Amino acid sequence: MEIAILGIALILLLMLGVPVAFALLGSAIACFLALDIPLVVVFQRMASGISVFSLMAIPFFIFAGDLMYRSGIAEQLVRVAGAVFAPARGGLGLVNVGASTLFGAVSGSAIASASAMGSTLIPLMRERGYDSDYAVNVTVTAAIVGLLIPPSHNMIIYSAASGIGVSISDLFLAGVVPGLLAATLLGLAAWLVARRRNYPTGTFPGFRALFNAAIYAMPGIMTAVIIMGGILSGIFTPTESSAIAVVYTILVGALVYRSLGLTKFLEAVTQSVRVTAMVLMIIGAATAFGYALAIMEAPAQLANLITTLTDNPILVLLIINIALLLLGTFMDMSPLIVITTPILLPVAMQVGVDPVHFGIIMMLNLGIGLVTPPVGSVLFVGAAVAKIKIEQAVKTIFPFYVALLITLLLVTYVPALSLALPGMFK
Amino acid sequence: MKNLAIITQWASNLLIALAGLGLVAMTAIVSWQVFGRFILNSSPSWSEQAALTLMIWFVTLAAAVGVREGFHIRITAVEDALPPTARRGMRILADLVVGAIGAAMLYWGGELVARTWGHVIPSLGLSRGFAYLGLPLAGGLIVLFAFERVLVELGGKNAADKEMA
Amino acid sequence: DREGSRVLTSSDTHPSDYPTVQAVNEMGRLLETRTGGRLRIHVYAGGQLGAERDTLEITTFGGLDMNRVNLAPLTAIEPMTVIPSLPFLFRSTAHMRQALDGPVGQAILDSLRPHGMVGLCFYDSGERSFYNTKRPIQTPADLKGLKIRVQNSDLFVTMVKALGADATPMDVGEVYQALVQGVIDGAENNQPSYFTGRHFEAAPFYSLSRHVMAPEILVMSMARWEKLSPADRDLVQQTARESVPFMRTLWDKRVEDATAKLLAGGVKVNEIADIAAFSDLMRPVWDRFVTSPEQKRLVAEIQAMGDSAGTQGVPG
Ligand code: NA
Ligand code: NA
Repeated sequence: MEIAILGIALILLLMLGVPVAFALLGSAIACFLALDIPLVVVFQRMASGISVFSLMAIPFFIFAGDLMYRSGIAEQLVRVAGAVFAPARGGLGLVNVGASTLFGAVSGSAIASASAMGSTLIPLMRERGYDSDYAVNVTVTAAIVGLLIPPSHNMIIYSAASGIGVSISDLFLAGVVPGLLAATLLGLAAWLVARRRNYPTGTFPGFRALFNAAIYAMPGIMTAVIIMGGILSGIFTPTESSAIAVVYTILVGALVYRSLGLTKFLEAVTQSVRVTAMVLMIIGAATAFGYALAIMEAPAQLANLITTLTDNPILVLLIINIALLLLGTFMDMSPLIVITTPILLPVAMQVGVDPVHFGIIMMLNLGIGLVTPPVGSVLFVGAAVAKIKIEQAVKTIFPFYVALLITLLLVTYVPALSLALPGMFK
Repeated sequence: MKNLAIITQWASNLLIALAGLGLVAMTAIVSWQVFGRFILNSSPSWSEQAALTLMIWFVTLAAAVGVREGFHIRITAVEDALPPTARRGMRILADLVVGAIGAAMLYWGGELVARTWGHVIPSLGLSRGFAYLGLPLAGGLIVLFAFERVLVELGGKNAADKEMA
Repeated sequence: DREGSRVLTSSDTHPSDYPTVQAVNEMGRLLETRTGGRLRIHVYAGGQLGAERDTLEITTFGGLDMNRVNLAPLTAIEPMTVIPSLPFLFRSTAHMRQALDGPVGQAILDSLRPHGMVGLCFYDSGERSFYNTKRPIQTPADLKGLKIRVQNSDLFVTMVKALGADATPMDVGEVYQALVQGVIDGAENNQPSYFTGRHFEAAPFYSLSRHVMAPEILVMSMARWEKLSPADRDLVQQTARESVPFMRTLWDKRVEDATAKLLAGGVKVNEIADIAAFSDLMRPVWDRFVTSPEQKRLVAEIQAMGDSAGTQGVPG
């Protein structure tokens, strides 16, 4: 009953054109009233949902990306990458997939990856004749590849939520092949769409020109080196690296390229707080909404339903996949992992699924939830950075969804994709 | 009406400036945390909580500005399919809903502040209620900005969403 | 509520098979039996409703009926609750149980009432010890310069600094990776958490400092308590007390299991011969957190109890 109130209120408010964050809050308020929970809890959940250390990567990477774009650092980087990929149609789309995979791999956060890549690459892709919707589609779908490639803090959450001590190093190894598979299929989708839309190709400018461009872009290239090197050598955590990226970009923009003056800096600041506020308000409101779902035990009801329906392993996995995709549409990733793991993992293990394998299925599934409407924070970041409507982005995202779904099916039904690598290190 | 627009314009400029200051301060604090731990071998214990408190403040205040500027993401598919008069009605209704939620944020956010005012944020020493204070403030501003949008619509103009600057 | 019948909601950040969750379930079973199903408890385990500090606030608002939390988030609300967390206060687990089962424990539970909560009982949270990626800790000098992760708590920051290490407050979710990549060198916790968080994979030196034996606590929201009839209040209090020995049996078993698995996993566990070398450094920590006469009285009572038994040293 109360679940119906929650769902119907959300859909009505969204259709009325109420902003997503407020629609989530409004439906949570309606549901809390029905459940007789004090409304002060709605706003406490919202504030807590905003105030999470790892979420700081969002404002910082948005800020750093915006600074890189305004100061021209990003331009230099894309010139180099564009030269390498020039012969391929839609070369920048491929650059985007590759960069997002690498970045997501290191930062471990899809939303940080979409923030950073989106605010640097999307404006540049547009300047070079790519459509906004294409740029957003590539950026947001590639961003979730990083969830599979280690390190991934979501896998650590999964290990803790499993209650049976699933090895984190096994999970990290298990994600590598599925992550590369997803990146390959997304790259293929990006290339196919680019061909159909006749995006520009260039000619390879020659090694000397490439070398010169690379030299000039060196301070920008160093950003990646500093972020990745700093994380891997233990100087800072992935979240902290986002703040360091801001400081480094300011120094390079102001002192090395001398292209970042006070005006551009202030523009970057005010634009970044707007995008951040938009995204984090949705995440905060989704936390309040998720609390309502958790208190009504929506995931547990779903698990009960699954076990009563069938005990055929293939069907169970299919239903779990659909269920997670649905839940992932409404709730955000970390709370969903915490809530659904203890419920769904036993169901999966009952039909013989390895817990490490199941962890990878879960990461991919919930990751897809981050790029699907009505609530998909990564999709929202991409749309916000590109200043286009969600509908506009979603209208043409289908080929990228297909790439992710094929990955999901392969990962679900071919356990070796996940388990072969950790097996080799045993 | 004109006076209201001057006041709200002034308020939203101020809010964005404050929010921007918050973002810059957050950057400095988290960088200092890395510097302290790695270079000085002494981690500041206050930095994490200070940055988190700033984040609640700047997100809620800038989110209130978002109501005035219309930068919050929303789905306009239904609205786009309707004739102009119905569209205006829908926009007014949606703004009223946003205003009502702003009022709820003002009231219950205020209760949240009051009830946690005696709690201390560890290693920062500030009141927990202070961290939440941005909520009722933003709630009040959301009411004001939503009210302004409704007035603009009733006055026959389109309070169309501004592209983000 | 139809004739006072009610499913009491309770939050716990531990997973559903954890002793505290099992104990509150047991309490619910007892309540259900004795009220003919009128009162029951539903535990939301695994932190599905939020972090402890958040659900604790929700409990004081009356949004949740019960909550099982660590003492750390309570010390930000009520200074009396810091006492059982004082480093090297308890000489042994037996000492800790004796103190908290008696009037001292009751005084601490009662101190929560002005804050909208009724303290029902304490559960064990084991003995916290240091672990790190570098070496066995034998003397405070071995801790010098190590970056040790602590919870976001002034007490733990002050304690680790007093021992000469670099106290690094960090969210628990970031700890594993921070250990692997060397952002931090170590942390501190009981054996079961050290095991289930998989931190032993990265930091294999576990040194039995047993510096803190702070228990966990089960609270009820005052809003719900006041709606219960006097008879139901007694019943709730009584069943909570009865769940404590049940919990301790499970807990001791869990520590034993975790320790065995840790040893099998290649962890190097070491006893510390000279605990006094550590506890002697705690004077400033105690002085900072034990300030009111009421706190001092309870600390003195606990110390007097411990003089008869135990192994750990206490600063004089
Ligand atoms: Na990753
Ligand atoms: Na979604």
